[in-house]
Amino acid sequence: MLVDNPPQGFLRIDFDRGLPDPTFNSHVGPLYAKRGEKGTADEFVLGFRVRPHMCNPAGGLHGGMMMTVADLVGTMGAGTLAGIRKFLPTVNMTFDFVAPAKVGDWVEGRAELVRVTRSLIFSTIYLTVGEEKILRASAIAKIPSGEGPAFGKARLERTPA
Amino acid sequence: MSNVPPDFRELTEATGFAAANGPWFEKIENGRAIRGFRPGPQHANALGIVHGGMLAAFLDSAMGTAVWHVLKRRAVTIRLSIDYLGPGRLGEWLQAEGEVVGHDEHMAQVRGRLYGPRHDVLASVGSFALLSRHRTVNVRS
Repeated sequence: MLVDNPPQGFLRIDFDRGLPDPTFNSHVGPLYAKRGEKGTADEFVLGFRVRPHMCNPAGGLHGGMMMTVADLVGTMGAGTLAGIRKFLPTVNMTFDFVAPAKVGDWVEGRAELVRVTRSLIFSTIYLTVGEEKILRASAIAKIPSGEGPAFGKARLERTPA
Repeated sequence: MSNVPPDFRELTEATGFAAANGPWFEKIENGRAIRGFRPGPQHANALGIVHGGMLAAFLDSAMGTAVWHVLKRRAVTIRLSIDYLGPGRLGEWLQAEGEVVGHDEHMAQVRGRLYGPRHDVLASVGSFALLSRHRTVNVRS
């Protein structure tokens, strides 16, 4: 049994509070988040330990898993940095797969806001293993007008992972 | 498997991420590979539509398969740009396919499309690095 053993400060994200079935984010996970000091690169960090069910036939982290996590960083993460707690639909993402990752690696994802308009958030996203970048993504997410649904029911579990 | 359109076969050789998020299906039509799947609750996001990451993963797989069918070369994705045009709905049969629009000895450019019964869901363009003809993909257990 693989234990995720997340680094200090990471809490598991519970995406499905009150939902009858686990949704995709739970199905591919578990995923963790860390909240750091406002204005720093660590203000919002997504993290996960690479497990076999996230991998491709060659035994490396599947590109689909990288894109899934980058998509979350570009919506939930960039939205958090912009102070928006709505569900932000993705409009475009461009992914560059710069390096592989393997089972057991701890992967982190961070967003950098490029520009926030009334209706769009432009961000740059990196997934990293330690100091090494494994994925660069450029994301555009839409900010829905009006109230819109909140970002699901995702909450950070306060119990230790 | 019921609920699968005719001529599609299940990709039973899937492992890891593809197996965990399947079943995925494929048919070959006029030399083109078309992939399909029917999303369920495990593919949903918080809005109850198919998660963008799942759609991206599925389209990527169909585009990589197109390279294999046209060029007979294994390929890895280097860059993928995806426009999200409309929602993928749970329970609807979704299909994805790729078209190789250009290539040289090292790279292939592929246009991709993912669509439901009535509307386009994703449009994309990608660059794939072609692996050496002599290299076998090292499959770890």
